[in-house]
Amino acid sequence: MASMRILSARGDTAVEWDAAKFTEGDPEARAAVAEAERLFQELKAKGATAFTVRPGRPAERLDVFDPLAEQIVIVPRVAGG
Amino acid sequence: MVLLVIAAELLFVLLILALLTRAPYGVLAHPALYVDTRSDWRQAQERAEALLRDLLSPDEYDRLLRRGYLELPSRLHPNWVYRVPRHQGQVKVFEGDTPVLALCVQSVEPIPDADAVIMHKLMIEGDEETYLRVANRFEPTLYGFIAIRPRARV
Repeated sequence: MASMRILSARGDTAVEWDAAKFTEGDPEARAAVAEAERLFQELKAKGATAFTVRPGRPAERLDVFDPLAEQIVIVPRVAGG
Repeated sequence: MVLLVIAAELLFVLLILALLTRAPYGVLAHPALYVDTRSDWRQAQERAEALLRDLLSPDEYDRLLRRGYLELPSRLHPNWVYRVPRHQGQVKVFEGDTPVLALCVQSVEPIPDADAVIMHKLMIEGDEETYLRVANRFEPTLYGFIAIRPRARV
């Protein structure tokens, strides 16, 4: 299962979808991806930054939503403290 | 006469108590509200801790617990190593054993400590330029770290 984790005051919220079923055109998987992409765009518009995370490799910034990414983590907008 | 004064004082105390329980913040009227908030926050911390454990290797997580900070090498400055604290605070930059900078970057939304570690890790690994641009910087001196640039926002 691919997932998108959104960091927030509630810990984190997860949106999950089946990337294999998505590529096969499964309507349920497509709906889940559409919802994840909507959230992705909405949070990016608010200044959040998204990263793809893979075990044993450094995180990479993600500017365009990738439904085939294994794990996406969204960090809220940051500022100098 | 004495009984009258005592009764008047009792009435006064009851009046004060009645006014307090109608406080706009509902502190006295709804004590359970605060307990629920703390409980939610504890659950958020537990979720954040689980995600942190998931994102770090067992070695990294173990070192974070033992040392109190997570070490991350810089991609932009080959000699720099960031030390991200276990609990929210300044991220220190070291060259070998020498501290060269302290950086202050925080989420505009309050997040649990474990999520803050994740935030620093992802930003440093995946978008170090922005991280350094946004950070308020502090330079080490004999008297501790002193701010060297004003705060900025992404």
